[in-house]
Amino acid sequence: MRAEIKKIQEMMETADYVTDPAIAMSVHLAMTLKKPLLIEGHAGVGKTEIAKVMARMLGTSLIRLQCYEGLDAAQALYEWNYPKQLLHIKLEEGSTHSTSEKEAAIFSPPFLIRRPLLQAISQPGAPPVLLIDEIDRADEEFEAFLLEVLSDFQVTIPEIGTIKATQPPYVILTSNRVRELSDALRRRCLYMWIDFPGFEKEVRIVTRKVPGVNERLAREISRFMETVRTIRLAKVPGVAETLDWAQALSSLHADHLDEDLVAETLGCVVKDADDVKRLKRELASGGIGRFVAAQS
Amino acid sequence: MPAPRDLTRAMLTFGGVLRASGLPVTTPEVMDAVRALEAVDVMDRDEVYLGLRTVLVSRMEELPAFDRCFENFWRFQAAEGQELDGLVPNVPPSLAGEEHGGESPPSAAEKQAQIALDDWEGGEATDDEPVEVPGLSDREVLMEQDFSTFPAEQLDEVARLTVLIAKRLARRISRRRKPTRKGGVIDLRRSMRANLMKGEIIELRRRARRRRKVRLVLLCDVSGSMDLYSRFLLQFLYALQNVFGRVETFTFATRLTRVTELLRGPSYKGALRRLTEVRDWSGGTRIGEAIREFNQSWGHLVDRRTIVLILSDGWDTGEPEVLAQEMLTLKRRAGRVLWLNPLLGNPSYEPLTRGMAAALPLIDHFAAAHNLSSLRELATHLTLR
Repeated sequence: MRAEIKKIQEMMETADYVTDPAIAMSVHLAMTLKKPLLIEGHAGVGKTEIAKVMARMLGTSLIRLQCYEGLDAAQALYEWNYPKQLLHIKLEEGSTHSTSEKEAAIFSPPFLIRRPLLQAISQPGAPPVLLIDEIDRADEEFEAFLLEVLSDFQVTIPEIGTIKATQPPYVILTSNRVRELSDALRRRCLYMWIDFPGFEKEVRIVTRKVPGVNERLAREISRFMETVRTIRLAKVPGVAETLDWAQALSSLHADHLDEDLVAETLGCVVKDADDVKRLKRELASGGIGRFVAAQS
Repeated sequence: MPAPRDLTRAMLTFGGVLRASGLPVTTPEVMDAVRALEAVDVMDRDEVYLGLRTVLVSRMEELPAFDRCFENFWRFQAAEGQELDGLVPNVPPSLAGEEHGGESPPSAAEKQAQIALDDWEGGEATDDEPVEVPGLSDREVLMEQDFSTFPAEQLDEVARLTVLIAKRLARRISRRRKPTRKGGVIDLRRSMRANLMKGEIIELRRRARRRRKVRLVLLCDVSGSMDLYSRFLLQFLYALQNVFGRVETFTFATRLTRVTELLRGPSYKGALRRLTEVRDWSGGTRIGEAIREFNQSWGHLVDRRTIVLILSDGWDTGEPEVLAQEMLTLKRRAGRVLWLNPLLGNPSYEPLTRGMAAALPLIDHFAAAHNLSSLRELATHLTLR
């Protein structure tokens, strides 16, 4: 294994992120090839975490753009500070400045609100990590716009001129696959799919993140989650749910799973009324043994 | 270790192999792959695999095809001890592109799917359907009853309910298209410019949000195995199309037929008569090929504002690889792909037919369509998000 990749893996582990070679490889290539990394996966598998860990590893800042339906350039790139401009116009009333002078004054950098994309491009010093979170929630128009920004890392503001990044930021995009992303965007990015963790990895995550849980309980929890994910549910629980649950069990001082304990804390595992009903039914039919018995 | 030039050539060929398997790999990506190989340990098979995968795959659904191609293309000479010869293409680079076109040998997973099919005893169990539930109105009973079990005298009532549900669905879809706010959002930037000299904002400039229009494409299986259901589903399609404008409807068994025009018109009987003239409603289904034909000839109808609805039991006599590949193409274009399967109404049904197993990972929503209430439930899924 390349020393760099090993180092990334070690650094991620030190930063309390339980990783695997695939994740370390993607981060390594994103940094060496200087290409955006698109991370897809179910909710709660730790996509966003990667960007945070990466920023910590590089010792640089993390700039986050949370996407939502209706997000536009004004929210993502820059906007003029209208209240400030208005005040300025008011204060300038009766002054002898010409219109063009007034205009130049209010459309100058002090009146500019830098939104995440512009921040990421214009930040002095070491290039930051730009996290574009849940890009699938934004509209297609925004996706096209983003593509433009990501391809040359420069922005033209009519009133000021062109701002170009001296060093392009490291870009991480995440998607929950609410909407299909365009091929153009996908082609521009490196790609990583994060699946639910395997049994061993999940055990490691639980023991690392929830120290109050002993080895046996961690294994039972992970086995239980593994089985739950094979049931057809409206919302399949992710690692976040595993950790919530482990935390809850830990604060109840549990050292192994039993039927009552599971029934009491099921709300941590599934968070949809129908799913709860369904899981209860499965538990009643197969018993807890089916969920925690070693499968191999 | 091969010289960089050879590596570049081998990568280009590998790109061609991937393209032949349905991965739209571009030349810049291939170049990135070469750069990626410089950043990994080419003696380490796993590392090469992970590196190339990160660069060349761009959606989860492409992973199985990539794995197949990687397995076939790159041979690793793992001699004893440390003497690894690095990676060498499995086939002469000049041949690989043509040799690997289209099909690839079935993987273990596909073989398993095939075995699963052999185990699966056909025929849906219709005898254990609830016949009469006391306390429910007749209508409720109709809602839950499997289409295949209706006696002739109830058909009219069922047809009426089908139309009712279709209408309600259509209303739901069209409501979503209306603009959310009257007059749009205030555009401060332009307001500011327009009122610069006035010192106060007098005139507000607004901008409206673009409307989202949803189009529906329906692909209905009318092969022999669907006979019991297609009658109702077609009625549903007819109703849906006539109350909601932006619908394109196709039927398929062994070939694809566009029936949008045929379904137009005030009477369902007339539509049905026109339909029987074009039908090839018998024999096997070649779903993969039907969808390929759709992608090739009608692909332009599908964009991200389109919901594609496939109604089929998944009994496919064609190659599952073809189906998987065409579903991937379709999914890439469409906003959402829904698959309605009448057999899913049977609690013991598992989507194990080879075709269904191949298509399943590429479907956004897989639902039943065996009774009226399952059609009614469709409403929640006929949205782009």
